[in-house]
Amino acid sequence: MTFSTLLPLLTSLILTILIIPVLRVVAIQIGLTDKPNIRKVHATPIPLVGGIAVFAAATLSFSLSMTFDPTILIYKNLFIALVILLTMGVIDDRFDLRASFKLIVQLLLAHYTFTVGIKIESLYGLFGIYDIPTWGQYILTLVIITGVVNAYNLMDGIDGLAGGLGILGFTMLTLFAIINSHVQMTVLSLAFIGALVGFLKFNFSKSQKIFMGDAGSLMIGFVLVVASIHLLQISTTKSNSAFVLIGIISILLLPVIDAIRVFRARLKKGKSPFHADRTHLHHLVLSMGLKHRASTMSILFMVLTISSVGFFLYYYTNTNLAILGMMIALILMINLLQFNSQIQTWKEKIKMMEANY
Amino acid sequence: MQTKKKIAIIGTVGVPANYGGFETLTEHLIEDLGDKHHLTVYCSGKKYAKAERVKEYKGAKLTYLPLDANGIQSIPYDTLSIIHSLFYADVLLILGVAGAWILPFVKWFTNKKIIISIDGIEWKRDKWNILAKWYLFWAEGLAVKYSHIDISDNEAIQDYTAARYGSLSRIIEYGADHTMKVPITTEAIEQYSFLNNPYAFKVCRIEPENNVHLILEAFTLTDIMPLVIVGNWDKSQYGVELKEKYSKYANIYILDPIYNQEKLDVLRSNASLYVHGHTAGGTNPSLVEAMYLGLPIIANSVSYNKVTTENKAIYFNSLETLIHELDNIYTSKLKQIGIEMEQIAKRRYTWSHIAQKYQLLVDEALAIKTKIAVMPEISTLKNKALLNSGLAHFKTFKSF
Repeated sequence: MTFSTLLPLLTSLILTILIIPVLRVVAIQIGLTDKPNIRKVHATPIPLVGGIAVFAAATLSFSLSMTFDPTILIYKNLFIALVILLTMGVIDDRFDLRASFKLIVQLLLAHYTFTVGIKIESLYGLFGIYDIPTWGQYILTLVIITGVVNAYNLMDGIDGLAGGLGILGFTMLTLFAIINSHVQMTVLSLAFIGALVGFLKFNFSKSQKIFMGDAGSLMIGFVLVVASIHLLQISTTKSNSAFVLIGIISILLLPVIDAIRVFRARLKKGKSPFHADRTHLHHLVLSMGLKHRASTMSILFMVLTISSVGFFLYYYTNTNLAILGMMIALILMINLLQFNSQIQTWKEKIKMMEANY
Repeated sequence: MQTKKKIAIIGTVGVPANYGGFETLTEHLIEDLGDKHHLTVYCSGKKYAKAERVKEYKGAKLTYLPLDANGIQSIPYDTLSIIHSLFYADVLLILGVAGAWILPFVKWFTNKKIIISIDGIEWKRDKWNILAKWYLFWAEGLAVKYSHIDISDNEAIQDYTAARYGSLSRIIEYGADHTMKVPITTEAIEQYSFLNNPYAFKVCRIEPENNVHLILEAFTLTDIMPLVIVGNWDKSQYGVELKEKYSKYANIYILDPIYNQEKLDVLRSNASLYVHGHTAGGTNPSLVEAMYLGLPIIANSVSYNKVTTENKAIYFNSLETLIHELDNIYTSKLKQIGIEMEQIAKRRYTWSHIAQKYQLLVDEALAIKTKIAVMPEISTLKNKALLNSGLAHFKTFKSF
């Protein structure tokens, strides 16, 4: 890796470190902060500026790192979409928008992405299917974009988790962009990695802590999924596309499956899927008695394990078995965590029974 | 005339009993049930040297396995015992859940009756590492679901299994009438000078769960009477540190383990007060033994101890409350409590009583097909049927 390759990363990193302290102060003034409540894990109001900072730093770094090339302008539509998404996110963080409204905006942006030409055109060998008809492409694109964006949003539960997951995702994208010789995607991914690293520095800090907010997680989720879809479209060979597919799925599988699992469980109990409780993956890991940073690392380690399983299986078998293997590995890990969570619950119940005889 | 059945007793270290509660229980079971049924006891070859092994003991057949009965080896120990017993036994009496993983297969493929004791919520105990806890938590579930009868040793545990599994556990405690009141001899006084005056007594494993540190600290802050405490101090860092810290106090006598029953009973039966700090393990054998000896009891207020003493002892739940209670005891109160404890023990904690309960359980296991549920029969009726008959209020148990 030469210095010029790392330039976008370093640039966005420095920009983030410069921007965030300023944004922090402004955010506290205008009340763009996360107020603690009984369900959340922090105790003081935290500025929600991570999303804005990462976006500004990454896009600025990207434009500085690229020599001006008219082909860049095809991405201007996506840039606009991102700005809209980020703005909505910031307004939501400050004023709390209704979930249905946010969903509609996301669907519109997904539709817009489709019309721009970024869409899921094929299943690249999954279930033996390759090209799919246009209406299938449309539905799949909308569902995947909206689904992943929201699943990623739900991952933002403990410090460093969404940021760390984002870094893993963009690292994967960087590798695939290099394999497919896509300079712009490489630079973009590197820019985001640098910005996220800068963000994490403050996210983990005690005195200058910030969160990325809904703005950040929606925006990053959107970039991840749209960039992945585009990478799949432009991958140069069949094996490259299978590789990219497995890599992307390995990163996004955990948030998506966790979201589905939690929604299903809530519906089963007769509650709304958005009913707030403490059953997400990071809650389960925390209930194992790990501290926050250890929990984040554990979940990121789980993702790496899933990736390894996926690539290992792909190398020796095929795409379908790789994805099946990843799902089984993930489900096993979740079951183990739920089992442990059960033990904790009973431990507390018994304690109460013992003391209240 | 009832036919003799073949019962396999699985999961103990073995007989002759040298170790703990389960082993003493087994020895009494074979004494009392030996003429009613054919008994086989599985023993650990690791604890009985080849030279001292016997094929038969008090009418029961002994089978030895080259494994430890406790620790991680208990899993193959119990499992192999269970498999071996399937070839001849009618009833499997299993003490402990280490081999519970195989019980579903026994229930599905054989018609052997299974009676299993789940001990005292073992998976919660601090002495186990996390993998052991996971295994025991899972195994306990299997043990309760796939046995014909499951036993715990305390009513409070029965509440827990009812809450978690919806089934009715049986309660069988321990006997204490193997202990004796031993009069003080001149030799005893020569060895232990405190025997001449009132003293408080405690004998237990030196573990944090048993609140040894708290009791020692309390006795440094009160001068009501000295404390005599017997236990395995050198076995853990916790014990070693406590021994070092508290040995220097004049009113605290720290003694190493006494394995001779008579010697122990001299010290125990002549005490003026028994202090019981246990917070886990259901019904503790040491507590029922102290009760049988007519000792006044001051115990930790956890549900299990209250059940064992029928709420008639003195209780504490912290250093402050222990000191407070100690400072406020007086002779007539202690005398009365001691008498009550002895009455309870004579009624509930004798080996013949315990063995009889097992006898009845064996009979019941042979007769039933499925386990009794905690919920009343009404809970099986569908809502619609109840509504149609105007009886929908029966769906709510809280009405009663």
